[in-house]
Amino acid sequence: MDFALPDDLLALQRAVRTFAQREIAPVAAELDRHPRFPWPTLRKLGDLGALGVMTPEVHGGLGLGQLALAVLLEEIAATDAAHATIAAVTNGLPQALLLEHGSEAQHERWLGKLATGAWIGAFCLTEPHAGSDAAALRTRATKVDGGYVLEGTKAWITSGGEAQLYLVLAKTDPAAGARGVSAFLVERGTDGVSFGPPERKLGQHAAITTGMRFDGAFVPDGQRLGAEGQGFVMAMGSLDGGRIGIAAQAIGIARAAFEAAVRYAGERTAFGQPIREYQGVSFKIADMATRIEAARLLTHRAAWLKDRGYRVTGEASMAKLFASETAVAVTDAAVQVFGGYGYSAEYPVERYLRDARVTTLYEGTSEIQRIVIERQVRREFER
Amino acid sequence: MVLIVLDHAAGTPRRTAFEGVRAGRRLAEALGVPLAGLVLGDADGAAAAATALAAFVPTVYRAADPALAAGGHEARTRAIVDVARSVGARVVLMAASRSGQAVAPRVALRFGGALLEDVTDVRVEAGAIVAERLTYLSRAVATVRALAEPVVVSVKPGAFAAAEASAAMGAVEDVTIAFEESDRVAQVEPAGRAARDRVALEEADVVVCGGRGLGDADAFEAHVVGLADDLGAAVASTRAVVDAGWRPYAEQVGQTGKSVAPKLYVGLGLSGAVQHLSGMNRSGVIVAVNKDPDAPIFKVADYGVVGDVREVVPALRAALAALD
Amino acid sequence: MTIVTFVKHVPDAEARLGRGPDGLDLGGASFALDGMDEYGVEQALRLREAGAASEVVALALGPARSEEALRSALALGADRAVLLETDAALDPIAQAPALAEVVREAGAKLVLVGGKQADWDSAALGPALAEALGWPLLDWATELAVEGDGIVAVHDVDDGSARWAAPLPAVVTAQQGLNEPRYPTLPNIMKAKRKPLERRPLAAASATVETIHVERPAHARRNVVLDGDVATAARELARRLRDEAKVL
Repeated sequence: MDFALPDDLLALQRAVRTFAQREIAPVAAELDRHPRFPWPTLRKLGDLGALGVMTPEVHGGLGLGQLALAVLLEEIAATDAAHATIAAVTNGLPQALLLEHGSEAQHERWLGKLATGAWIGAFCLTEPHAGSDAAALRTRATKVDGGYVLEGTKAWITSGGEAQLYLVLAKTDPAAGARGVSAFLVERGTDGVSFGPPERKLGQHAAITTGMRFDGAFVPDGQRLGAEGQGFVMAMGSLDGGRIGIAAQAIGIARAAFEAAVRYAGERTAFGQPIREYQGVSFKIADMATRIEAARLLTHRAAWLKDRGYRVTGEASMAKLFASETAVAVTDAAVQVFGGYGYSAEYPVERYLRDARVTTLYEGTSEIQRIVIERQVRREFER
Repeated sequence: MVLIVLDHAAGTPRRTAFEGVRAGRRLAEALGVPLAGLVLGDADGAAAAATALAAFVPTVYRAADPALAAGGHEARTRAIVDVARSVGARVVLMAASRSGQAVAPRVALRFGGALLEDVTDVRVEAGAIVAERLTYLSRAVATVRALAEPVVVSVKPGAFAAAEASAAMGAVEDVTIAFEESDRVAQVEPAGRAARDRVALEEADVVVCGGRGLGDADAFEAHVVGLADDLGAAVASTRAVVDAGWRPYAEQVGQTGKSVAPKLYVGLGLSGAVQHLSGMNRSGVIVAVNKDPDAPIFKVADYGVVGDVREVVPALRAALAALD
Repeated sequence: MTIVTFVKHVPDAEARLGRGPDGLDLGGASFALDGMDEYGVEQALRLREAGAASEVVALALGPARSEEALRSALALGADRAVLLETDAALDPIAQAPALAEVVREAGAKLVLVGGKQADWDSAALGPALAEALGWPLLDWATELAVEGDGIVAVHDVDDGSARWAAPLPAVVTAQQGLNEPRYPTLPNIMKAKRKPLERRPLAAASATVETIHVERPAHARRNVVLDGDVATAARELARRLRDEAKVL
């Protein structure tokens, strides 16, 4: 058993940390105050090579696995959660699915652009009335000569209107339930595709989120990913990796808040001594450190197992559940350590708290994770 | 002998020459050896400087050659090593100016000795030359000892007080240097006075930081930037000033901005919130100007002036200009 | 043409220096490629990209961990690396002859080195290398180009800046302003593992300076509040800054 990250991964981690501190940190607070999609820093992240972590080198990626992606996402999130969300989506969902299910022509057409960050990818599963219940989708893809016509509405699209490529799930056979769902690759600018205004939300303001409408949008046959009816299985197959990514992001946010709190507790004095000398503060710090460490162990182990070909549905949900709840608890505790300053927008901890909150919601709420975990428990128990 | 390379600008001795004399006298006395100076330059410059400096050392060696005025390190190295050899110097001392720092290692290597570089103090202990110097980006102080002789010492500008003139006038001796072709290989011509481009905040030796106490952006420009210009310093701002839109984020010092540790930090019209202090409390010398005598910045300051920055800064600039 | 670019593995500028029983405690510090050397690596790569050089060799001298600085240089784009490995604490004067030997052996015509080292605060290695090689020194370069058989440059001098030209070979010290160093990209970090890195034990060299003690001085502040009217206080402040604090 070896808990140490390999040397090359440590070198990549250092590089991303340095990059994030120099390039992303200076703009993070401003992007939160005046939200806009952070194209300049995303381009640089692409040049760095951090937007194609799992795509093979022949397509311009790094050819690494889920553990590497988790380590790098934590680094980005420790500086700015919004960048990590955009990076997690474009790395994980469109690229991973395109790589696994795409034809050679589709690889040729899109993988290089996504892996180098020239294009950003988005994932369009959720609808106004269907979140984790993907079988209840209403967006329709009707077969016509040479392709499909898409009709319907998608919601909560990360990078909506900004990304150049959208992986869209739509029903090709409404009668077939989950087996009637197919996946399509839709480019920005396709006739009949439009985006709503950016959602106003609690945190992660720069990770622009919009709705998306299909009004008779024609998508050629060559842009269907995989066979008809495979879309749901495909989407479900991507969930484990996605959850590991969100867990890593949550750890990054928690770490940022934790480090700020530790520094502050050593510098701020009350009644003649640094506040960390008071148990009310020091115990908080001990608990924060312990939770972050535990979350990271769960997450790295899930990623490590996935890289070795194991099915990690339970492990990924446990990591996501624990890490996201940790992020919320740790950022909240950090605000408490900062006292009144923690509530002030002059210091970053209130932003960490707002940014962390969504991690228990997207990629399946904590309740969904518990359902998944309990089902795994039951399966093991009944075996 | 202790041989001091005495710098001058077109014949006028530089302040570092007098500082070098003070360090050199101390070493010569402790070692029980004579003291001499060396002046390099073109004929006019060397003559004027040697005459001026003869009042400070018993002997001034004067080497005049156009190559020595142009600032080429190779020619200066040749001259210093030639003279040091011919007089049998045990110690060659020079200022750790840019040119001194370029020449001293070459002299040490060619002369076959040790280099004590950019020292803030130097003395003789049990027959060995011992010095103190700053290390780790000026955050630590190292005590070092030379293991070989002769010893080349470059002295940090400003570390020693300027020496007083001697009672007796020294002699000036001309020396001729046998330059080689390789000493004149580099063509050097002045390109400009010291760049007024501002130094990078994190690497600056002097940082002038302004806070909300300045009142408005124009006052910040006039007083903070003005004083920084006078001192050749980098400009920094507090969070409040950046948030008010007076100055760019790149200048922000503190927990959410940059961390600086200059040799001199001047804080103007800022209270010294803990978040700000964490970004500058490693500074060498801290000066604070604030009208509130209870401002926390005074607790970490070496020197404080209680008053309105808009009155104190003009007075300080005038006082600095009046320093000789 | 081959360019040798010297790199040093130094405590991170952000690293906190601890205070140990024997003075300084570097136990908690993380190490990285010296920022000043990074400007030299960048310039070497730019000269190669402009066609003025065919090979960039990164060279380090120090303990085994220095390999990390060399890997960083390889990740930035250097072609190969050489480490002269030693645990001895050697001053720049003692290091220069051994380093010069590697430069000669590589057939290099240009050596780049950071203007000042972030650990020992020393600006001596570039000049010492120039001396050991018998080459001219261009220190504190802010512009550097290869033209024909020589280099033309602008560098900082005591009173400002100067234009400088000399035929190659030469030693150049690099600093901020010379260029904007690139980031090592993640693919290049991976490729750097496969680039040649030669480790050689450093042949006997003896130090010319020994360190007796290093300590991090506690910042005992003077806490002097200058009294009197504004003009008096300002005059007294200026005087003390010069004569007492010695920072002017």
